[in-house]
Amino acid sequence: MTKVLDARGLNKSFGGVWALKDLSVDQAPGETLGMIGPNGSGKTTFINAVTGHLALDGGEVFLDGKTITGRKPHVIAQAGLIRTYQAVRVYAQLPVSENLRVAGLPHFRRLGFSDPLDGAEDLLVKLSLKEKTEAVAGSLTLFEQRRLELAMRLISRPKLIMLDEPVGGLNPGEIREMIQLLKGLRAECGLFVIEHTMKVIMELADRVVVLVSGEMIANGAPAAILQDANVIRQYLGAVRATSR
Amino acid sequence: MAYRRAALVGLVILALALPFLFSASRFYAFILGVTYLYILWSSGMNLLSGFTGLMPLMYAGLAGVGAYTTVNLVMKFGVSFWLAMPAGALAAALVGVVLGLPSLRLRGFYFTLSGLVIQTALTMLFVYIPQFTGGDTGISQIPPPLISLPGDRSFPLAGVWLEEALAVAALLTVYVVHRVTQSTLGKYLVAIREDDLLTEALGIGVTRYRVLAFFISSLFAGVGGAFYAHYVGFVSPRSFDVLTSLNIWLIVGFGGQGTILGPIVGAVILAPIPYLMQEFYLYKDIVYGSLIVFTTIFLPRGVYGSLLFHRRTRTSARGKSEAARS
Amino acid sequence: MTPEGMLLNGLAVITTGLIVGAIFSLVAAGVTIMYGTIWFPNASNGQFFILAALLMWSLVANWGLSPFLAAVVVIAGSIPFSLILEKFLVRPFYNVPNRNIVYFIMTLGLAQIFAGAFTCTYGRWSDQYSLPATWPGVIMLGPFPFPRTRLLVLLIALILLAGLFAFLRLHRIGRALRAVFQNREAAILRGVDVRRIYRFSFVLAMLIITTGGVLFALAYAFDLTMAWNMAIIAFAIMIVGGPGSVLGSVVIGMIFGFTQAAVSLFASPTLAAFSYLIVMLIILLVKPSGLFAR
Repeated sequence: MTKVLDARGLNKSFGGVWALKDLSVDQAPGETLGMIGPNGSGKTTFINAVTGHLALDGGEVFLDGKTITGRKPHVIAQAGLIRTYQAVRVYAQLPVSENLRVAGLPHFRRLGFSDPLDGAEDLLVKLSLKEKTEAVAGSLTLFEQRRLELAMRLISRPKLIMLDEPVGGLNPGEIREMIQLLKGLRAECGLFVIEHTMKVIMELADRVVVLVSGEMIANGAPAAILQDANVIRQYLGAVRATSR
Repeated sequence: MAYRRAALVGLVILALALPFLFSASRFYAFILGVTYLYILWSSGMNLLSGFTGLMPLMYAGLAGVGAYTTVNLVMKFGVSFWLAMPAGALAAALVGVVLGLPSLRLRGFYFTLSGLVIQTALTMLFVYIPQFTGGDTGISQIPPPLISLPGDRSFPLAGVWLEEALAVAALLTVYVVHRVTQSTLGKYLVAIREDDLLTEALGIGVTRYRVLAFFISSLFAGVGGAFYAHYVGFVSPRSFDVLTSLNIWLIVGFGGQGTILGPIVGAVILAPIPYLMQEFYLYKDIVYGSLIVFTTIFLPRGVYGSLLFHRRTRTSARGKSEAARS
Repeated sequence: MTPEGMLLNGLAVITTGLIVGAIFSLVAAGVTIMYGTIWFPNASNGQFFILAALLMWSLVANWGLSPFLAAVVVIAGSIPFSLILEKFLVRPFYNVPNRNIVYFIMTLGLAQIFAGAFTCTYGRWSDQYSLPATWPGVIMLGPFPFPRTRLLVLLIALILLAGLFAFLRLHRIGRALRAVFQNREAAILRGVDVRRIYRFSFVLAMLIITTGGVLFALAYAFDLTMAWNMAIIAFAIMIVGGPGSVLGSVVIGMIFGFTQAAVSLFASPTLAAFSYLIVMLIILLVKPSGLFAR
């Protein structure tokens, strides 16, 4: 069974400081993978490296068995691996429909559609954004913008979406809704979730990878991870260190 | 919407008729011709500055490349203007891409700065290759474009006919830029301008579309340069220096970046100024410089852009209050 | 060429290189401080430089003021001028996202205003400006006559540069400035009043640029075309040395000064300018953070 994502031996240094140390992570199709770790452990660097935004110093990345090492970000996105950002990013000055049109334009022909907005209406309904179709994206609430971000990724029918802290800035009620939403997406595409909040990871992820200082220190089912003494010591210790 | 279409047709007819209406006075006709030239130039620059968000300070230098190429082909090799001009435009576009491509990777201010550097280098180059450019003295007595007629005769496109040609060229440029902005390329350029990182992450190759925009924009710089040379009849490195780039930008910025009518508004208001203030020619730089400062501080959307923005916010506010009432 | 001729040429290059380099370094340091702290790329730095020189000329050559007094007037006068500029042109844009481009275009417009104003006023009176020697006579460096005024200017410039260094490294405010260079958010967290630092950096940078103009007027004859040249050179030095790095400005400034002196002697000044542009472009494309980046 080909892994949907296979990253092997990733190395990345910034002027002598190693952000990723010989890191290997893989994800099976249909599996929701979570990644946790203290601030500065390299989680966002990992996404940046895998999606081509950052040049690797070593290692290889395969998407669905095909190599994407060293490719440009837009090529990787067209290959089916797409990501979101920690701080929400939409085209604030454009209406929601234009945001979706831009997101759909690079992909619709490849997907065999006749219009970049094919299927956009269903997406908007599913993500409860139908009434906001003509609203300027900047006028949406944070939660609505996060859902718009998802819509803009889903319109490209990706194989895998890498989500960098998808519930950042949301209140508890919104977090609950978001978790349900993401659970509902599992059938359509793979999900890779970076999160701080253990609760989100526990509910969403089938498997969790723990990253500390660029190295993976644990890898397993969420419940097992929580009990892992190693994790408790290193993660909590590292959390204490970075919050000083 | 029929009202808008009628207005547009009216404007086109007006643009084509004006050269004849002004033909009595060469002075005013010349101002009209120069205005058409600046409409062409600023619409071309608008593609890059307004729609892609890149400030191309080397635009005048590229216009110079177009101008000198065309002039040399016509005056030294007897090539017809109608072949030389596209050649000049292509030369400008190629030089633009070659020089601009490496700097397209730079963010914001650094790209603008490298544009300034390239512009300065181009101006220096123009001075230092007098065999092609006449150096600081420039090239004078550039003939007007000729239209060849059957029977080995030719008709010089001068006076009112050249202004008419400029009007057509300006209208065509505006039309082409309009079509580009409506196309997929146009949507990508706006996305790149708004957030290039997000755009790349969504699967759009930012660099390649920037290069394409650069190519098209530089083509227009070259076309304008060629027409400038054969209309004014004289070119020198000073015609295509950094101040010229700035003046064209001012027209775009003052009129309204990122809109189709903005550069037209800007050109109509600003292009005639140095000619109408003949005695005050010395103060031209002070006026233009002040306008640049004024525009960046008070009028970032430009005259036309601000109008559009206020109309939009007023209608949406009205819409909201109507919705609240119902 | 005779050995004595070569020695004379060599000494000319060295002395000119030192003075021009020191003045380049001063102006570039001002430009890099403005850009490093406030993100204010000042395209009109060359115009301010020439303004200082022109004012010196007016005061000394026309009104007969003593050069020392004139220098004090011009340099002190730059402070209220900078404060006004800061309040109306810099402050309104502190929190605008792409403010460096806005500032750049604004200062290009400002430069155009000044260039026009200079042509209308000073330009009508004279093509070239030179001040009478402040300290007449020459000092002989072997066979080479080195004008005493230029030696004075060189010493003052070097002392000022050293003082600037000391200030940035040792004084409380200087260190706050460097903290803001490096990391604005961290500086805020450490309790630095960033707005006061912005104002201070702007005034300090303008002071340095003004002093550069004053010193240049004392040492050499000049004309209005120097304004744009100086601006390009200052930006080139800033980019190559690394924006925000005063050390970079000084090292690269001295190198450019020597290059200018050497190339002007053997070829033409325009060729020197061309070479700066090429170097600046190369650095922009290959290592935009400059050679002395942190």
